[in-house]
Order: sequence, then C-alpha cells, then structure tokens
Amino acid sequence: MEERIAGGYDPFVLPFMIGIVFILTYLLIALIRIICIMPKSDRKRLGLSLLKPKIIYKNIKDIFGDCLLHLKIFKCNPLLGYMHASIAFGWFMLIVIGHIEVALFTPQRNGIIYYPLFYRYFVAEQTPTPKGSLFFFLMDFFLLIVLSGIGLAMLKRIRSSALGMKRTTKPCVADRIALYCLWAIFPLRLLAEGFTAEISGGGFLTKSTNTLLANFFGNDINVLPMWWAYSIVLGLFFLALPFSRYMHIPTEPLYILLRNAGIKPSHPRKGIAEAEIYSCSSCGICLDACPMNTQKKNIKYSSVYFIRFLRKNNTQKTNEIADKCLMCGKCVAACPVSVDSCALKQSQRSTITNKLPYNYSFLNDVTIHSETHISDINAQSGSDNNNVLYFAGCMTHLTPAIIKSMTSIFETVKEKYVFADKDGGICCGRPLILAGRTDAAKEVIEKNRELVRNSGCKTIVLSCPICMKVFKEEYNLQGVTILHHTQYINNLILQGRLKLNKSEESFVYHDPCELGRGCNIYNEPRNVISAIGELKKADKEKDKSICCGGSLGSLTLDYADRTQITRESLQALTIENPDKIVTACPLCLKTFGDQSDTPVIDIAQAVADNIK
Amino acid sequence: MTGFGYSLTPSSRINLDDKDKEKWNKLIDLEPDVLKCMACGSCTASCTAGIFTKTSLRSAILYLQNGQEKQAMEYVKSCLLCGKCFMVCPRAINTRHLLLSISKIYTLK
Amino acid sequence: MKTDLYKNYIKNANTHRMNNNVIIIGGGPSGLEASAQLHKMGYKVFLIEKDSQLGGHLAKWDRLFPDSIEAKSILENILENINGVKYFLNTEVESITLLDKEYNVILSNGTTIPATAILVACGFDLFPAEKKEEYGYGIYDHVITNADLENWFKTGLDDRIVKNPKRIGFVHCVGSRDEKAGNRYCSKVCCATAVKQACEVKEAFPDAEVFCFYMDLRMFGKGYEELYLKAQKDYGVRFIRGRVSEVAENIDKQLVIKAEDTLSGKPVKVTLDLLVLMAGMKNCVSSAKIANLFSLKTDEYGFFTGKDSIYKLQYSNKEGIFHAGACTGPKTLPESLHEARAAALAIDNYIKSLE
Repeated sequence: MEERIAGGYDPFVLPFMIGIVFILTYLLIALIRIICIMPKSDRKRLGLSLLKPKIIYKNIKDIFGDCLLHLKIFKCNPLLGYMHASIAFGWFMLIVIGHIEVALFTPQRNGIIYYPLFYRYFVAEQTPTPKGSLFFFLMDFFLLIVLSGIGLAMLKRIRSSALGMKRTTKPCVADRIALYCLWAIFPLRLLAEGFTAEISGGGFLTKSTNTLLANFFGNDINVLPMWWAYSIVLGLFFLALPFSRYMHIPTEPLYILLRNAGIKPSHPRKGIAEAEIYSCSSCGICLDACPMNTQKKNIKYSSVYFIRFLRKNNTQKTNEIADKCLMCGKCVAACPVSVDSCALKQSQRSTITNKLPYNYSFLNDVTIHSETHISDINAQSGSDNNNVLYFAGCMTHLTPAIIKSMTSIFETVKEKYVFADKDGGICCGRPLILAGRTDAAKEVIEKNRELVRNSGCKTIVLSCPICMKVFKEEYNLQGVTILHHTQYINNLILQGRLKLNKSEESFVYHDPCELGRGCNIYNEPRNVISAIGELKKADKEKDKSICCGGSLGSLTLDYADRTQITRESLQALTIENPDKIVTACPLCLKTFGDQSDTPVIDIAQAVADNIK
Repeated sequence: MTGFGYSLTPSSRINLDDKDKEKWNKLIDLEPDVLKCMACGSCTASCTAGIFTKTSLRSAILYLQNGQEKQAMEYVKSCLLCGKCFMVCPRAINTRHLLLSISKIYTLK
Repeated sequence: MKTDLYKNYIKNANTHRMNNNVIIIGGGPSGLEASAQLHKMGYKVFLIEKDSQLGGHLAKWDRLFPDSIEAKSILENILENINGVKYFLNTEVESITLLDKEYNVILSNGTTIPATAILVACGFDLFPAEKKEEYGYGIYDHVITNADLENWFKTGLDDRIVKNPKRIGFVHCVGSRDEKAGNRYCSKVCCATAVKQACEVKEAFPDAEVFCFYMDLRMFGKGYEELYLKAQKDYGVRFIRGRVSEVAENIDKQLVIKAEDTLSGKPVKVTLDLLVLMAGMKNCVSSAKIANLFSLKTDEYGFFTGKDSIYKLQYSNKEGIFHAGACTGPKTLPESLHEARAAALAIDNYIKSLE
C-alpha cells in the first residue's frame, strides 16, 4: 500500500480534529479533577492497586469483558448483548487494526491522530497483495459487525421489547445528537470507503458497495463529500459526548480501575462517585429491574434518573429518589457497568442525615450487662473459647419461630453457644448506614465489635441478613468466622452433625436482598432445602429475586406501595405452586407472612421441623 | 379592670396556644404519617434502644403535638433506626423516616 | 262482610308465602334466626351450612357477655324454632342462575333449588392468630386464643393451660385495628369478650393475677361498662393501656411479654404462664366465593356491603339477595339476631312486592 495524498493531509479532517482535541482536553481535565477531589486515602489506594499484578489482571479482564464485549448484557439478553458488543468491540477493532495498518504501511505517519481513521482516503493499493487483502477483509468484516449492531440499535429505539427490554429511557437533547451521530458514523464510513474503493482498493463490503453505488451516483464526485460528512459526524459526536450518555464510553475504564482498587463513594459527587455517574450509559436496564416499577408512577424513581439528576446537580430530585429507593440492589446486579447506585444513594442520604444530632452515650453502660450475661453462660459451658456466639438481631425477636428453631438446632448438635442478644442487644448498625448516618453507625459498630471480641468466640452465627452484611463488611473481625444461619446449618449437614429427614413437601426459596445480592449467599440455603424436601423454582431467582417489600432501605416508600411489591414478589415465588415458601430473613418472613396465602417459614424452621 | 387570678410561674400546664405550628406543619409535610399514631405504644415496647434509654417514638409524637419540643427530642436522640418500630406499628407508620424528619425539622437550623 | 274481606286478605297474603322458596346461606345464629322467622311466616326455607353442625361460632362458645348467659341455652332457644326448616349440612353453593326473577341454586350435594330470595348469612371467621408471628401462637407452648379459652371453659381440656397459672395476660386487638394484618377495622366484640373471659379465668384460678393489654377499651353496649367495673372491682383485673408488641419464652417455657404502659410512659415486661390472644373477626373464608357466584359487592376486607350503611343494610346490590349478621362486618350476637329478623321482614316485603 502506498500513500496517495502527498503530505497526508486534507481539510476534511478538521471537524474530526476539533472534536477529538476537545474531547481529549475535556477528559484530561475531568480526570485530573476526579483524582484531585478524591480523598487522599483513596488516591493512595488507587496508586497501590495499579502495582498489584492480581488487580492489574482483573482490570484488564474487566475492561475487556465489560467495556468491549459487554458480557454482563449477554447474560441479560443475548441480542442486546450482541448489539452493545458489536458496536463497542467492532469499533475498537477498527481503531486497533487501523493503527496496525499505519504502523505497517505508512510508518512515517505514526502518531498522526486522524490518519488511521481516514486511512482508506490517504492510502491506496494499486496491485492486490495478500497482506493488503487481509487488512481489507478484516476492516470490512469489523465494519459489518458494527453496522449490524447499529441496525439493532435502531430497532431497539423503535421496539425495545424486541431486545428484551420492557422499558427504555427517554433521551435528552445531547443524547439525541450523540445518538444520531453514532448511528450515522458507520454508514457514512461505509459510503466514504465505498466510493473510495475504486481508487484505494477495498474488501468484500467496500468493493461491492462501490460497484453498487457506481451505477447510481457515479464515483469520483462523491468521494470528498462523503469523507467530509464522515468527519463532521465524528467531530459532532465528540463535541456532544461529554453532555450525553455516551460519556460512559471513556469513563468506564476509569471507573473499573477505581472500583477494583476497592474504593467506595463517600460523597455523591466526589472521587469514584463522579466516575460512576458518568459511567452510567442510561441504557435503562435498571428500569425493568426495579421492584418499585410494577407501578408506573414509580418509574421516575429509577436509578438511571437518579444518576441523571445527580449529573445535573438537582439536589431536590436526587434527595427524593435517594430516600425512596429500597436499596435492594437489583439494579446494581443488573447494571452492565456495575454502577453501584445504592452506594451513591446512600452517600446522597449522608449529605443530610449525617449532620443530624444523636446521643449514643448509653453505649458506654451496655458493656457490663452483656459481659455478665456472656460470662454466666461461659461458666456453664466450661469457658470454652471455641464456642459459638449467636446474634439473633433486632428483627429476629419479632419472629420467635426463628429463635426457637435455632435454639433447637443448637441443642440437637450439642453446640456450646452463647445467645448474645437474648434479652435484646444493640442494633448492628446497618440500618443507620442505609439511612446514610455513617458516623453514628461507626459508634454502634465499634461497641458491638468490642462485645464480640470480649466474648472470645471463634464463630458468630447471625439470623438476620441485614446484620450479616454489615458484620462481614464493616466489623473487621479477623479470626472470627461470620456465618449466617443458612451457612451454619449447611456446614452442620456437610459435617454430618445434623441428620435430617427428607419430606414429601416442596419448597421455594426466596433470596433475601441482603443475603443474596448483599452477601452472595445463594447456594447454601438451596443445599439445605434440597436435604429436607423438593426445591421448586421461582420466576425470579438469585440475583434477580424481588425484594419482599419490607426493606429497611427505603425511607419514604409508603405501606400501600410496599404491599404491591410484596404481592409481586409472592407471585413470582409461587409460579410452581410450592407447599411452602422458605426464606432466611426475619424481615422477609414477617412481610410475606402478612400477605401470603402459601405458608411462609424460615429455613431454620424448615430444618428444625425435619430433624431426625 | 386588669385581669385578676392565681398564677404560678412557670406553669406546669401545657399551653396549646403557644405551640409552634410552623414546624409541626412542616413535619406533617415531610412525613404525613405522624398524624396516624394512635398511641398504642408498640414502638416503645419493642424499641432496641429503649432497653437502655427512654427512647420512645410515641412519646415524642405526643410531646410534639403539645408543642414541647425539647422534651420530645429526649425521646428520639438515642434512636438506632433499627426499624423494629416500623415492623410492629399497627398503623404502618413510616417510623424511620418520621424519626429522621423530626430530627431534621426540630434540630437543624 | 268485613271479616270475609279480612279472611280473604289473610289468605292472599299467605299464598304468596307458601309458593315461594327462600334459601339461607349459613347456619349460624343469624341464618338460623332468619330461617325460623321466615318459616313461621309460611315460606319454604332451605338452610345451607358448610360445617357438620348448626350454630356457627355460638356452638363453640361457653358463655356470653355481658351477663354470662350460657351460649348453649341461647342456641337451644333458636333451634327450637326451626323445626320444619329443610337444612343441608356439609353443603355449599356450587352455582347460581337467574331465570326471570327466580334464582336457580345448585348445591354441592347435587340438589337444585329454585328460590325467589336468598339470604346470605355466612358470618365471620376468627382471625388466624398465628399470622401475628410476634405473639408466638403455635410456636410457644402457652399461647392460646379466645376461642381456645372458650373451648377450655366448655371441655376443661387444653394442655397449654398449666395447672395453677400465676399470671395470665390478655392481648386485645389481635388482627384488628392492624394495617399489617390487613384489617384496619375494630372487631367490636373482643373488648367485652376479653373482660368477660378475664373474670371467668379469675374465677377458675382465684390466685392468678390477670392483665388485659388494650389500646382503647370499647365497652359500648348495655351492661358492658358495668362488666368492666366488675372486672376491676370484684376480680382485680389489671388493665394496662398498651399494645403487646413482642413475646419471648424463658427457660421454664413461661412467656415474657413486652408492652408499653402508655399511661406512665414506660415500657413494661411481665412473665406470664398463659397468654390469651383476642383474635378479631375477619370475613368468612367462603365469602369471596359467594361474592363471586352472586356478583355481590364487598368492601376492601371482603365483608359484604349493603345498599347503604344505615337504612338499607340488609339489601345487597342484587335484587332478591339479602344480608344478615357478621358477613357485613363485625357484630355482637344480639345485633346479628336483630338483623336476621330485619332481613326476614325485608325478604317478606320484597316477595310481596313481586306479586
């Protein structure tokens, strides 16, 4: 291949250059801003993470998997996944191969930013070579893939259900400009390269386009206008990018780096949060995921709109949505970019609730009471340090069936255990965190931590998934095994300490939000249930499980709306007509119990009823 | 003739004429559920913090209704927001938001 | 001359009664009383009861407030008057069709009955106390309901009641006035029942301390307030204004209950040997099916709604179908009986108007 245009320049590259210079400057400034605003500790964390091989590997894997191949969307809907992957990966390959071409054939143009994009205009192949044909083929192949994706994207706008989405977001003005530019970029590239194919050569796609077009429009006259048009839409796309949803394309890799470094948002518009909200592609997958959206009036409270208002600094709206959210994490699990909107909402709540006064001075006096209680029982059980600490949790005291069943299981396996909050204890702190009162939560967590440490136990068994999540994430209890009772019972079965009867009954398991999506515990409860009866399937399971409606996450959702969610969730659970619904959270148990026609029991109850 | 009669300062009587209605109305705006309380005491009975302190949402609502803001705050300041009161409330009052709203309106300037 | 006219009038008045069938759904007090009245008027009455015995909840009760009259004697009084009424036990309505002002009703036993009027008196069910999980009914050994206690008064059999209980508690409003239970209404009879039972249980265990935990005491009827006074003065029942919100069990299987004494503003804790839950009234389990078959209007709780709530309470939204008793909402026994008689009259007027 040889350079066709001397000097390697034509004025049509200008619109593109304006766009690309603008966007690169914008991104650089934004990056510096994010890094500067970030708390010092987070910055250090990010720096260190970039040196650890394990995290580097994960970063590369995630950037490939999430940004280019969109593997998460494939899981949601294969066609939708293909649409995203074809555009992202196809475009990426076009750029990469374009650069290889420049490096191989016109090394003198290396580093000229527009050159790989407009390569076909500047470089021609007079006599076919195998190497040249290969590149022609590759470029045409990936262009075709991108075009197929664009086709699907157009279809999605007209009929979103065809790609498995019930609802789709409403685009704003910048979104529209960027969207139409994006749609136009690749067809125009095809036309430009098509018209040029006779002069510069081309592959199966461009050559045949050329032949086809030549019959209608002639050739030479159209070459330059097409390249101009191609360059203009590219430039326009880059100009609209920062104000549109497509900002997610350049932001996502940064977010992946920050996320994998283990940084959590402390403010809804600072540090990682900023990267997070610009990583949102406004795709609207969260609209279908949100349990509140069974009612149309609640669609406006979806995560995508929360992030949109956050970008616009609309405090009133962001507060309203943040307070409404159930914090069930369904949208986070479904999000192709893994935007943790619950964490953002939590930090949004913090901006207000963390300022509220509180007085937990009573915590100082709690020690004595609990210590005597614990040492009393320790004395009975021979002061064995290997015993189990059972922490039922506040809510579990409203579901005596769980406590009674757990006690009976402990007794059956002759476990030496201490019932930490038999007469009531201190809250675990998670409800405070959910409300955004992180400072207040720290005091509570510190106190509980001290109590657990003083007890000298090696294992702590929890009955409430809300406690479970915060114990695992915030308590920092090295050397203490933290188990939810589903895990504890599963261990007992595996160790052969607990023998169960397999009954004729059929069960369906409801994944509580905080246990499933919150702590990633999906298999243990299912193993346990399979040991005592038939496990039936629910319509929505595991990370797609619908909140019971009783969530402590929402601050403002009223009871009538919660009831709607409860019904929806029950309906999804009972599609296979199970004899009983089994759950593993006192809150779910009580909430379902009020509404359900099918009996609802806790997994501990189901086990205690079937002990051999 | 000027008014005549026995009086003791300060009076121990609650004077509803002096109640700051502005804040109360703001509270109703923020969480209308405050009007639903029938003072059954379920919230206080099962309150996690109530074992150690005098935390009581029912009492706080009562004091606020009577315009005794300072006293009311004594009953909410140690709340742990655990949500048990929401689970037991027979009127399904959104207790956690109510508690936060009380703090917001009566303590923040 | 005059007497002839009168005799003629009477004769005419009675023939319309002889020629018309009336179906009554529900063999509880109001269904029975309405059957008795309509039967006396001369109608052919068919009574349908889904249970294996007549009398409804009355048959399961021991004594009645406010005067502790035996439920058995009242039921016997009512049953004396239904001789000649055709009744079906263990039977339900399967389907219904309307043919020119006459209903054709097919029963689950295969019988088909044409009827000019139908009285729905399917009554109420007791709220299933196990739904209020926090009270531990069916989980703890010594938690019973008001119905269980009546059964014990009648039979003396219940393992859950220990020999000499030291402290006994009554929880009012279980499943009533409770949004979470889905029932916002007051069940009306539980306050008086609780006070009555508190006295009776004190008679059975004179050494026991008895507590009633209430939200509001609704002693509205004649003699009810006196019953309340008697419970305080003669039986020393302690009334605590606060709803029980949590029940735990100690090592001795006693119940530790938590409530707030709202009058002193302090949480209270008391250890009991027996806890009695005053389960409220909810719509009868078959009311949804009946409402569906007959296209009758119900309220959000599933109780039937009359044409209005004051003047036309006995009339349903469908011509020829009437209501009586607790199927339209919680009622006391005398109210149900009055309604049964009122419904009988309404049916008579209706059938007359068809002639």
